[in-house]
Amino acid sequence: MAHTHKHAGVRAIDAFAYASGLNGWNPTFKVVLSVGTILVCLAADCVPVSLAVILSMGALIVRRGGLPLHDYIGLLGVPLAFLLLSGAAVAAQITSGPTGDWNLVLPWFSVCVTRASLRFALGLTLKALGAVSAMYLLALSTPAGELTSVLRRAHLPGILVELMYLIYRFIFILLDTHARMKDAAESRLGDRDFRTACRSFGQTAGNLLLIALKKSGAYYDAMTARCYDGGLAFWEEEKPFRPVQAAAALAYWAALVVLALAVR
Amino acid sequence: MTKKERKLVSLAVSLALAAGTVPAAGAMHIMEGYLPPMMCAVWGVIALPFLIAGFFSIKRTLAHDRRAITLLAMSAAFIFVISSLKIPSVTGSCSHMTGTGLGAMLFGPSAVSILGVIVLLFQAILLAHGGLTTLGANTFSMAVAGPFVSYGIYKLCQKLKVNRHVSIFLAACLGDLLTYCVTSFQLALAYPAAEGGMAVSVVKFLGVFAPTQLPLAVLEGILTVIVMIALESYARPELRALGFEEG
Repeated sequence: MAHTHKHAGVRAIDAFAYASGLNGWNPTFKVVLSVGTILVCLAADCVPVSLAVILSMGALIVRRGGLPLHDYIGLLGVPLAFLLLSGAAVAAQITSGPTGDWNLVLPWFSVCVTRASLRFALGLTLKALGAVSAMYLLALSTPAGELTSVLRRAHLPGILVELMYLIYRFIFILLDTHARMKDAAESRLGDRDFRTACRSFGQTAGNLLLIALKKSGAYYDAMTARCYDGGLAFWEEEKPFRPVQAAAALAYWAALVVLALAVR
Repeated sequence: MTKKERKLVSLAVSLALAAGTVPAAGAMHIMEGYLPPMMCAVWGVIALPFLIAGFFSIKRTLAHDRRAITLLAMSAAFIFVISSLKIPSVTGSCSHMTGTGLGAMLFGPSAVSILGVIVLLFQAILLAHGGLTTLGANTFSMAVAGPFVSYGIYKLCQKLKVNRHVSIFLAACLGDLLTYCVTSFQLALAYPAAEGGMAVSVVKFLGVFAPTQLPLAVLEGILTVIVMIALESYARPELRALGFEEG
């Protein structure tokens, strides 16, 4: 794909999901496995369980899913900025005088870090990374269209399901359109400096909305011409649910719970 | 480039340079796993009434005009794409707009709340921004609080006969700032400081995110104004069809 750019572009994760070796698994099962693992990881709230989830989910995605390890590590870096900043906020204490194990004295107050607060922040960061790994299991193996059909089976109102199907498709149409406009702007030196880049960005975005509105009319006409009367039906590959997987998932969660209890 | 645009852009340049030391940072999505399960549930429940109201508003729109379905879907896809684009930066860091202010002004805050939750879900799944369990908290800050405040400020400025571009700037910029404050509040509520409790914790989170979020909010305001200028020059009929009132 031409525009798969490295920093976890929209296309990258979507393309990984379609190519994943786990794509053949039943999507409802994957939702349950992913969300269940997130909840176990959050509820256990201890470092060994977090590490176990990070490693096991990573292994599943890389080994069974066939995602290159390099790409997976790159994806784990996406929340890095958030985790570092929030982690710093959680670890640091603001006090009037210098206390704690490490401190930084500033004019009106001092920032200090204690061993306990640092340990808490590290635990929190690992817990979040564990939950992120479990979310990646879903994101990197299940195309958003299938996820929508899971929500449809879970009786989400029809209008929302229909909107989700359409939005998912329109996102890629608009991304294509935008990529072409951006190429056109760039080839005319549209981002030669910051000032021009801002102007190009704004005008491209404005133009994108205009095209989106025009296309929305055309797509509605196209849909009505194909007998659209308020219900979208998509062909879906049948991905049978296998009881062995459910048993494995239960065993996995049980092992995590046992680990959490053993540590405590 | 018109004179006004040039002035706006120079302002953006100076601000961006001021923030030149800031590392990469996206919008303020609370990451998956960062909130305890209890908080996730509470924020989900708080966001729910707005979502239900938004759902009924969309349902009414669709009953009135079935054609609006592709329009709504395109609008949400547009918000998603805008929020996934790398915005121009001097330092080469990778930042994104939230697009909530622009969305609220164009499509109205109640529609944006329900479209916003879908966009946030897709952002988690397709971009790894945000998360599944933190969806409720992120919905409240980005799809409810931000858009409603943006829209309110925009309407208020219209009533007070503030210059149009200034009011668009204020709406987008303050909406973004509010999102950042709400997120900091949500994080502080989950992790109050050992000494001084929640209030101190809010200050900590605000302080930690300020270097990235303050310039981003200003840039978001400026870019929103440029987008609106572009729309007003080329797409007046379309804007009117969306129900966007021109002052």
